[in-house]
Amino acid sequence: MVAAIEIDGLTKRYGDVTALDGVSLSVPEGSFFGLLGPNGAGKTTFINILVGLARKSGGEARVFGHDIETEYRAARDRVGLAPQEFNVDRFFPIREVLEHKAGYHGIPSPEARQRADEALKQVGIYEKRDTRFDWLSGGMKRRFLIARALVTDPDLLILDEPTAGVDVQLRHDLWELITDLNEGGTTILLTTHYIEEAERLCDEVAILDQGRVVTVATPGDLMDRGTDRITVTFRDPIRSTPSIAAGNGQVEAVEIRDGRLVVSASQGGLVAPELVRELDAAGYEIVDLDVSRTSLEEVFVELTRSDSSVTEEGTA
Amino acid sequence: MSRPTVQLRTLVRREILRFVRRPYNTFLPPIITNTLYFAVFGVILGSRIGSIAGVSYIQFVLPGLVVLGSISDAFENASFSIFHGRWNDYIDAVIVTPMSNLNMVASYVIASAIRGIVTALLIVGVGLVFTSVPISHPFYLAANVLVITTLFGGLGIIGGLWADDFDYLTVMNQFILRPLVFFGAVFYSLSVLPPLWRQVSLLNPMVYMVNGVRYGMIGVSEVDPNTSLAVLSTATVAVLAADYLLFRRGYGLTE
Ligand SMILES: Nc1ncnc2c1ncn2[C@@H]1O[C@H](COP(=O)(O)OP(=O)(O)O)[C@@H](O)[C@H]1O
Ligand SMILES: [Mg+2]
Repeated sequence: MVAAIEIDGLTKRYGDVTALDGVSLSVPEGSFFGLLGPNGAGKTTFINILVGLARKSGGEARVFGHDIETEYRAARDRVGLAPQEFNVDRFFPIREVLEHKAGYHGIPSPEARQRADEALKQVGIYEKRDTRFDWLSGGMKRRFLIARALVTDPDLLILDEPTAGVDVQLRHDLWELITDLNEGGTTILLTTHYIEEAERLCDEVAILDQGRVVTVATPGDLMDRGTDRITVTFRDPIRSTPSIAAGNGQVEAVEIRDGRLVVSASQGGLVAPELVRELDAAGYEIVDLDVSRTSLEEVFVELTRSDSSVTEEGTA
Repeated sequence: MSRPTVQLRTLVRREILRFVRRPYNTFLPPIITNTLYFAVFGVILGSRIGSIAGVSYIQFVLPGLVVLGSISDAFENASFSIFHGRWNDYIDAVIVTPMSNLNMVASYVIASAIRGIVTALLIVGVGLVFTSVPISHPFYLAANVLVITTLFGGLGIIGGLWADDFDYLTVMNQFILRPLVFFGAVFYSLSVLPPLWRQVSLLNPMVYMVNGVRYGMIGVSEVDPNTSLAVLSTATVAVLAADYLLFRRGYGLTE
């Protein structure tokens, strides 16, 4: 099966700025793929290259096996993009804008009209069909961008920070909508800097930082890479650190805080039972045990720590 | 209908609606401006000037006004639509689609040429209020109007891609196009000029356009009508090829 997106050594320079620095990625067909990264990481640039809004400086990019430059029509035909910035023709009512979009993809007019109506209903703004984009509220504008991406029934739906600055209701509606689409077979590429979103939705995430892919993994794997914290409370507060053999090699630190034992370990969920057995055997009386998983956010911050504060200041 | 035809139709239709739905911006100005021209040059001054090249002054001026109006509107149509689309990023919504570059260029040019032709018809309509409008060579007339509106639609694309601000459009239309047309023998016959200025005028491409349309209407030409039509057609093909190459390179459209 060909990948929905296949990227090899993709680079993009804007003058002195290297926005993408040799990115290689493969997004399997049917997956829900997250592209995570701080502001200025190169997420939008990556997307723009795929759809023809930016020219690559080097490397290869294919969409469903079609080279994005030599077979741009076949590649673009299968993509629906909801961009980060509003780029809607404000002269026409939104239903007409959708009809135009369908027409650019070669869908003849009676069907284009029907699809426009369906897409508007799908995102819940059908009653606004005769309104111009400017007159929509902020949330409706976001919904409209999704409708425009959906009107051609794309095989690959690209959403560039779709939930940036939207309210909770819309965010949940959106999540539901795109999850349904993904279950129906649509490949989704979602960029975000909300970790929670990626954690909740994505099968796989790539973390992008300063134009480079730092890692590609499932959200679960990423969290396993982080350090979990096991806190053990005893009937009598302890003073000295017991020697611990449990979780051989996975334990990173052992300390005492307020009479409690705090063990930092990777995959804390696996270490905890062993730890309890060991402490029990050594005669400690345990009254409470808490395992707190690292958040994906912490892993993310860890992975993108290198100079990212500088980047963020520069672009935020 | 084939896919490319549907795509072309969609974009041409969108571009036509853009001017049809704003008649006060697109159709009314040439009607008013040309009514004023005809009133002043035709009725008030015309009677003192008498006839030029065997026709009344108003009939002599009419073809030039048709050229002036139709090419500036064809130019404005393409340049504004493309520039405004870049300015507000909505041209992106066309670029990310499977439309071919050729198809996009063709759509903008066709719609702009239609706008120019509509303006030409409106000006002739205004002319009919003041005088009779002779049509000596319908083929030349139609061919010349078609070629020059296509040419300026094509030039408008270049202008729209090149412009970085609204000022650029004003500069192109007011400071380049208009002076060339005004000194392009719209209001006078080349024969009234001293020999030196006559030669200089022949370097002005507008002279050929005005002459071509004038030949089609009143049957009088100061340069060979076939030559000027051939030169203009060649220029048009060159400009359209440039449009295509610019779109293909993404000039002004992609970073
Ligand atoms: N048109 C442009 N011209 C110059 N630099 C740009 C342009 N677009 C993006 N950049 C730079 O490229 C880098 C990546 O930007 P972008 O792809 O927008 O990041 P993200 O979407 O991850 O926030 C940033 O340093 C940004 O300033
Ligand atoms: Mg971005």
